[in-house]
Parts: sequence; C-alpha cells; structure tokens
Amino acid sequence: MEVINGWMPLVWVAALAVTVAIALLIRRRRRRAPGASVRIAHLERLTALPGYRRARTRMQLWLSIGIALTVVAVAASAALSTRIVTVHTVTPEIHNRDIVLCLDTSGSMTGYDVAILDTFIELVDEFEGERIGLTIFNASAVTYFPLTTDYDYVTEQMTELRENMDDPNTDYAYTDGTLLGDGSSLIGDGLASCTQRFDNLDEERSRSIIFATDNFVAGKQLVSLPQAGKYAKDNGVIVYGLNPGDSSSKNYIAELAAEMKDAVETTGGEYFALGDPQAVPDIVTSIQKQETAKMDAPSYVVKTDDPDKYLWIAFWTVLALLTVGWRLRR
Amino acid sequence: MTGLLYRVKSKLSIRAHRRVRGVLDGEYASVMHGKSHEFDELRPYVPGDEVRDIDWKATARNGTPYTRLYVAMRKHLVTFVVDTGRNMAAVGASGEPKRETAVLVAGILAYLAHRHGDHMSLVCGDADGVVSLPAAGTESHVEQVLAKIQSRAVPDAGRSDLNRLLTYVVRRTRRRSILVIISDDEGIDDERARMLRRLHAQHELLWVSIADADPLDPNWRTSPIVDIADGALLPDAIRRSSALHREFAASVATSSSQTIDTLESLGITGVRITGADGAVSGVFALLERHNHGRR
Repeated sequence: MEVINGWMPLVWVAALAVTVAIALLIRRRRRRAPGASVRIAHLERLTALPGYRRARTRMQLWLSIGIALTVVAVAASAALSTRIVTVHTVTPEIHNRDIVLCLDTSGSMTGYDVAILDTFIELVDEFEGERIGLTIFNASAVTYFPLTTDYDYVTEQMTELRENMDDPNTDYAYTDGTLLGDGSSLIGDGLASCTQRFDNLDEERSRSIIFATDNFVAGKQLVSLPQAGKYAKDNGVIVYGLNPGDSSSKNYIAELAAEMKDAVETTGGEYFALGDPQAVPDIVTSIQKQETAKMDAPSYVVKTDDPDKYLWIAFWTVLALLTVGWRLRR
Repeated sequence: MTGLLYRVKSKLSIRAHRRVRGVLDGEYASVMHGKSHEFDELRPYVPGDEVRDIDWKATARNGTPYTRLYVAMRKHLVTFVVDTGRNMAAVGASGEPKRETAVLVAGILAYLAHRHGDHMSLVCGDADGVVSLPAAGTESHVEQVLAKIQSRAVPDAGRSDLNRLLTYVVRRTRRRSILVIISDDEGIDDERARMLRRLHAQHELLWVSIADADPLDPNWRTSPIVDIADGALLPDAIRRSSALHREFAASVATSSSQTIDTLESLGITGVRITGADGAVSGVFALLERHNHGRR
C-alpha cells in the first residue's frame, strides 16, 4: 500500500473548511439582512408543540445522516484522489525461447531419449510462446519436427516417437534417414545440424539445445565436436549436454566425455554426466529453471490503482446524499 | 406628523360609509356606563344607539325612531394601554407589521373619542420601561399618541411585558376610564386574569389582540423566518412538515378562542384583529359586543 498524491487529503480538508466557512458566512448574511427575513413573534407557540419536536428530531436525524454521508463521500473522494496503490515487484518472464532437442538415437541412448521426451511432453504444457523443435541424429541428422509453437502437434509427435522408441518390437522406422553418413554416431555433425535448426538468427531470442549423446563416435565426422561447439557458440546457441556414457563403469570413454564437457561449456551451457534415465526429469527441469532465470529481465515495480472500491463508495454516498437533500428540502 | 391620524381617517372613510361611521359613533358613545340626564337634543335614531334612549313619543309623532341625546356632564377618559415591546414589531397575520395594525386600531378609537369630545391618555412600554402620555383631547394629541406607539414598537425594543403595563395602570390611574388594552397575541394566565379582574372593577375594559402571523404560512416560503424574541431561525425543513401545519393551526385556533373565552368569563369584551383590513370591522364588533354584552 502506497499513496501517489499524499497531499490530497489536505486539499480536501482545506476545501471542506472553505465550504463550511462560506456556508456560515451566507447563513450569517441571511440572518442579518433585515429585509429578507420575516420576524414573527411567539414562535414558541410553534416550537412548544410535540409535532415540532418530532419534526426537529427527524430533521436532526436526516441532517446527521447527511453529515455522515458527506464525511464518507469526502473521505472516499480523498482516498480516490490520493491514489492508494498496491505495489507489486514484477519480474517478467520472457518466453521467446527456442529449444531444440538434439537426441542421439544410437541404441545405447534409447532409455535416455525416452526420459527426455517424457519430461518434455510434460513441460510443453507450461510453455507459452517458447518454440520447440526435435532433431534426431545418428550418422546424419533428421528434423523430426522443426521449431514450432503448435504444442498439440509437439506433444503428439513426441509421444509418437517415444512410443516407437520404447516399443521392444519396434521396426526402427523412426530412425529412417539418420544412417546416411559415413559411419554412425557422428556427434559433431549432429550438434552442428541441430545448431542449424535455428532460424531467424538476427532475432533476439534465446536459443538452447538439449544435447543427449554418449559422444561415442564411430565413423568419420565432417565436423568434430569442439568445432560444432564453437559453431553453436558463434550462433549464440547454448548447449546443455547430457552424457549417459560418462560414468566410472565406462571410463574407457572418459576422454570423450571430457571432450564433450569442454565443447558444451564453451557454449555457456552445462554438462551433466548421468548413469540412470531416472535422473533426466530433474536435470531437464533444472535446465529449464536455469534458462528461465537467465531470461529474466530486470524486475521492476508496478503500482496498481484500485479505485473501484472508493469510486463505488463515493458514487453511492453521493446518491444517498442527494436523496437526503431531497428529503430535507421536500 | 399629521400622517398617522390622516391615515386612520382615510381608512375609516374607505372602509366605512357614513351610516357605519354614525353607528360607530353611536356605539362608542354607549361604551361608558352612566350618562348625565340633562337633555340636549333629539336626533333620528341610528343603529347603535341604545334602545332605552329612544324617545318613543317623538318617534310616534314623526313615524321614524328618534333618540334623545344628553349633555355629557364630564368628559370621559380613554386610556390606551399598548404593548410596544418588540413583539409588536413582528409580522402580523395579514403580512404587515402588527405595529401598523395597533396604530390603526388605537387611531380609530382615538378618533371616535376625539369626536365625542373625550380625553385620551397612553400607557405603553415593554420589559425595559413604561412611558405614558397625559390625558388630552386635541387632534394633535391623538397624533402624538399614535406617533408614540409607532416609534416605540420597533424590533430593537425590549421584550413584551403586558403585565408590567397593567401593574402600572393599576398603580397610577385613579380616575374611572375606558381602558383599551391593545395587546400582543398573548394568552391570559391566572396572574393576568387577576389584574384584569381588578382593573375591570374600576374601568370599562376593551381588549384587542393583534394576531400574529402564521410562521408556516406558504407566503413566507422563500424568506427565512426569525423569532423576533431571540433571533433564532426556524429551520426550513421543519416548515415544510404538513403534519405540523395542521397541529399548529389547531393549537392556534384553540389558544385564541381560549383567550376570548377567558376574557368573556371575566366580563371583558375582546377581539382578535388580524390586520389593517379587519381593523374597522374589528373595532365595530368590539364596541357592539361590549354594549350588547352588558345588557
């Protein structure tokens, strides 16, 4: 609660005082003017009547109601013009984000991909203006769906992909087009391809890639992972890396893990080593939060007028005051 | 200063044609008990003459009634007791100040007295003091009496105090006279009744009330109404109450008829005059009732 025109009540008090002073002045003038008033003797013949006392009590009642209403009306008007505002600190969330899920579809990754998809299927409900795209890669990258805000479509596609991946009797049709490169699991190529999925690079949007791979390259890549990381960085894309291969049981690929970690961190993103798909939701959520925090614009103070209450009080009391005035003049 | 009596005369000539003026003279002449029995002249009867003054033989001779007139052995004294407190400066029932009505009533009676050759004196005043004018019979004295009433009864005068005037008269007047009490529109309480009874034993009493204006009269709707006694303003909102209107009218009717009744029970003739227009007929009614009531 804060006031904008804190001096307003003083103005109202002053106005009230001036009005009362003028009224008193007029009253005195009227009483003093000898020609205007009718002097009558034996008014006690009238004032002694019980009817007079009743009428006077009634008048005093109406007058006091009128005075009370005036006070309320003036107070409400004063409150109205003082502009009592509620102060909110608003931290605007910016939703102009682009997220590309960049999933390695090599056999070892399926469980993690499913976990990531599950998490995003849930997260999509909360999206508001964010664009999300899905690219899968193995030897080559395939855009499963491009960046879009059509969340129904996104949910549908992700669910479908998830079902296919999860199905033990799958025909691997979803991997069509991902095996066109020289070898398999060409990670650098995959990341570079995912980076190219962002459009309108001149627009100011936040761009991030959820990059899930074990970085186990088997083949000849066109782009190495560090190169792809640099490419992403140059395009202003932040890469969050999820590496299920990075665990003590698989320390034969520790070198690869370190390479991926470096590449991811050059882009300003984070690197998560995990051994269990169960950890995926937490990680994705934390990435989301982090992103959101990064996106937060500087918070600012919003003062909101709430005049309704006082306006209505003033309106009804003035209306009531007119009624009382009419009743007194009648 | 001849204006006041002149106004009275013109009022009389407008309001009363010759016949009525004759009647007024006749009624006035009959106010006082006890006449000299020295015969003066015969003149045709005019209504208002006492029936016992009719000369039946002369009437029989001429075919029309004739009245015997007697030489007044002594001049009567008419004493005007006029309340000139500030109440008399208030507005009367007819809309003009009650003072004007009082002057007119006193003027009519004084003029009649003057024509009859009587003397008149004045006792007037308010709570702050009483003044009197000695008895005299000239036209200029009548004018003086009226001017005194006129000049005393102003809004700045003291409060009305009729009992003080009556006490003054009780103490000061030895001579039997016609007391014309021109009062404000007041009632008669026990003390006043006692004083009136006392005065009635000595004098012929004529009571005139000058009626107050109705404060609830719609004629005053636009102007503020002030109590002349203390300057208190009558609130507008109360003036519009129609229930109060009825209650007030009833209470005024009761109290004014009560005043007249009280006077009657004391054997005093009284009349309530509402304004200049009712002055002549009021005085006529007063004299007539006085003369007839006595018989």
